[in-house]
Amino acid sequence: MIPFTCPREKEVADLLHRGHWPQACPQALRAHVHTCRACSDLVFVAAAFQAARAQSAHVPRLESPGALWWRAQLRRRSAAIERIGKPILGAQIFALAVALVIAAGAVAWQARQGLHLVSWLVRLPQALNFDVLLPASWPHLGSGVWLLVPVLSTIALLGGVVVYLASERH
Amino acid sequence: MRWESAIPNILAGDAQQLACQPMDNETFAGFYTRSARPLWAYLARVSRDPALADDLMQESFIRFLAAVHPQDGEVAARRYLFRIATNLLRDHWRRPQSSSIEEIQEHFLAAQSGTALSDSQVMLGPAMAQMRPRDRQLLWLAYAEGYSHHEIAEITGLASASIRLLLFRARRKIARLLRQQPSNGGER
Repeated sequence: MIPFTCPREKEVADLLHRGHWPQACPQALRAHVHTCRACSDLVFVAAAFQAARAQSAHVPRLESPGALWWRAQLRRRSAAIERIGKPILGAQIFALAVALVIAAGAVAWQARQGLHLVSWLVRLPQALNFDVLLPASWPHLGSGVWLLVPVLSTIALLGGVVVYLASERH
Repeated sequence: MRWESAIPNILAGDAQQLACQPMDNETFAGFYTRSARPLWAYLARVSRDPALADDLMQESFIRFLAAVHPQDGEVAARRYLFRIATNLLRDHWRRPQSSSIEEIQEHFLAAQSGTALSDSQVMLGPAMAQMRPRDRQLLWLAYAEGYSHHEIAEITGLASASIRLLLFRARRKIARLLRQQPSNGGER
């Protein structure tokens, strides 16, 4: 179907849009609308839709705008939290993956070297002369292992506290 | 800094978005009062389901407020609101349903909503029921809301060049259907 547009259609549409039809319409244009199918369709359809719009506008019972506004604020806030949380979660997963890879690599390397790191850790307190910090009456069972265990435990405990505080802040 | 105070800055993002701050409660109340009824009429007439129109209208306003919308005045804001509503309608039609909205008769819906049939409903309802949803959208936006072809293209996402032809066909069809109705004295 090829659209037939009357050259006066825009004129009629403007009058309809401004609410000037039919009272403020020139007599010549009104006569034209009666003879032109495109223009008469336009006037007929526009009148039907305007009447329907006026009728429909009285039907709905509107919700309070304040309630909608608050619901939108809640949604904005949820979306913002989600947006903030995404990169943090990604970074945490990445850091965990890197740590696991490094740990696995270290374990594999140590296994190939014959677990020298363990014996080095045992000898570390002696190498650093931690023995002088111990009282003379202290039993020399396993030498520096007595110092190494509480130091590692303290580091692990502090690490846990730091991670807990960081996650609480988020 | 607490996260509550950080959120607006994060939401604002770049400089363009900073210029598009969301509406405050009072401004929205005025906008809502002026726009809600025309939007409901559009949704109800196009979907032919008053209950669905209620739901989609609320969702449209919430999305409008939650989104960063244009700050070119109320006319642009209302156009943006209609665009959101149009997209929601499209999503609704695309969703698989147990019973299609197209299969439900207009008089059934009107009776369910408990409202009396007005003259315009009696006249326009059966004719609109025979139109495709897209044609109903175009006709309502053009002749009830008075939007231009360019604005309709912006709202519906259709090409501006095709609006003229689609609207011409839809108008001719509904004019014929309206004239065929007994209340209009039959076909001319």
